Amino acid sequence: MDPTFETRWSQFSAKKQAYLAYARPMEQKVGSFLTYRPDVEAPQAGALQGLPFAVKDNIAVKNFPLTCGSRMLETLVSPYTATAVARLQAAGAVVIGKTNLDEFGMGSSTDLSALGKTNNPWDFSRVAGGSSGGSAAAAAAGLVSFALGTDTGGSVRQPASFCGVYGLKPTYGTVSRYGMTAYASSLEVMGIASKSLALTEKVYGVMKGRDPYDQTSLDPAPGVARAVKTIAVLDGLTDLEPAVQRAYEAALDHLKALGYRLLPVHLGTLDYAVPAYYTIATAEASANLARFNGIRYGLRPEYAENPEDLIRKSRTAGFGDEVKIRIMLGTYVLRSGFQDQYYTKAQKVRTAIRNDLQKVFDQADLLMTPTFPTRAFVHGDRSMTPYQQKLADKFTVTANLAGIPALSFPAGLEEGLPVGMQFMAPAFEEGRLFEAAAKFATRVAAPDCPGTSLDWSK
Amino acid sequence: MDTKELETTALLAQIELGKGDLERLGEAVSQMLDNFRKMNELDTEGLEATTHALVTDNRVRPDSPVPSDLADALVERSPELEDRFIVIPNVL
Repeated sequence: MDPTFETRWSQFSAKKQAYLAYARPMEQKVGSFLTYRPDVEAPQAGALQGLPFAVKDNIAVKNFPLTCGSRMLETLVSPYTATAVARLQAAGAVVIGKTNLDEFGMGSSTDLSALGKTNNPWDFSRVAGGSSGGSAAAAAAGLVSFALGTDTGGSVRQPASFCGVYGLKPTYGTVSRYGMTAYASSLEVMGIASKSLALTEKVYGVMKGRDPYDQTSLDPAPGVARAVKTIAVLDGLTDLEPAVQRAYEAALDHLKALGYRLLPVHLGTLDYAVPAYYTIATAEASANLARFNGIRYGLRPEYAENPEDLIRKSRTAGFGDEVKIRIMLGTYVLRSGFQDQYYTKAQKVRTAIRNDLQKVFDQADLLMTPTFPTRAFVHGDRSMTPYQQKLADKFTVTANLAGIPALSFPAGLEEGLPVGMQFMAPAFEEGRLFEAAAKFATRVAAPDCPGTSLDWSK
Repeated sequence: MDTKELETTALLAQIELGKGDLERLGEAVSQMLDNFRKMNELDTEGLEATTHALVTDNRVRPDSPVPSDLADALVERSPELEDRFIVIPNVL
């Protein structure tokens, strides 16, 4: 599929009318974009020439809005472009829109966007996942060749799993965060959602690398290349939705049939990943989101007594509930007297988790887990409360705490909905993720979502 | 978390909570704090705290001017301007 996939998408400019005839009605049903501007010409040179892509609306693109899905930034237009986006543009790819997200990247459904509703292209009554739900939905619905998201605790991989596409979370720091709206700075990285694994790898190759504007950015330093032979899997994994359990067991069989040695491991720290993650993420969020105060940009109240009143009114009206909850949690765990009990403890748990993973990677080349314990759930709180959604992040947050790369890949359909599994690898070993996922794809390819098509490119 | 603690925390976070908010958001905050306490089950004696997984050095750039043409565009994002000054309510 892959060479054809890119060739077809490179027809975007030449077949614009046919593309629009397909894409506009599709987008009306899915709602993946907050800003959709497909009326652009794609450059016809470079490694990614002519490929249209979407950017999550918490990543800056010059002259596009940068709302972060929040009332706070509803009218903000970015005066500059994120480094990673600029690199893709220089390689010939073209931004055609900004995608919907849970407000400031805080959520697992994209239902927590203050500015739009996104539906899963497989079943419009279900969520696309989150927080990069718009990006995964746009990729799955055939509206873009690939889409950028941000992954703080699984925000690229979980929606990729829900929508049946690939979702890459690179090693922390390998992609510049310049131009990405900060939520939890020590955990987050820009990632890619695409129906094509080969294109995901290519896009990562263009985006990555050190950037003078981000002092945590790094040049990837992979170890000695080696073929993936042993894949660790969690011993006695239960508490999954039955459909995901079935897909997981089928995936194990596929890996065995492909000749991999499966090594059952016990990850004793896994149960502490969610509390450690949310302690650290909310603490960092409370500091990062302090900048939104309605003075230099953002929502400003009609009237305020004094600057402090202005700030408080701006934040009270500008932020949604989930953002307020996380800011308050983060403020609390950093308060004097509580810091050791929560924040410092979480950082030590983070060390324990890293050590645990190191032991796994001493014996195995990759670790495989389900991406999320459930398939896409229905809109609203009925099937999964916000608290349950957070507890379900345990497989994805682990990679963010350790800074290691992870890839969610389509592992089949269960009752008409996609299920994703994820590989995790040691830092800088993205190559292993791509290699094993490509082999897996020889048995289970990325599924075609009903109603989607690339026929416009013919 | 009791109401008083929640109010103090909200004040520090520069967020106003109405009566309904206190109940609704307070419950969600308390539920997560209970979850955070689960970390106490894990023995972390002797472990260093991880602040960043992969960043080890504090990089600095040479102390020389670098051109940037963003200043005006950034100032123009302000909701209220007088010339190049950002207008805020009276401080005193």
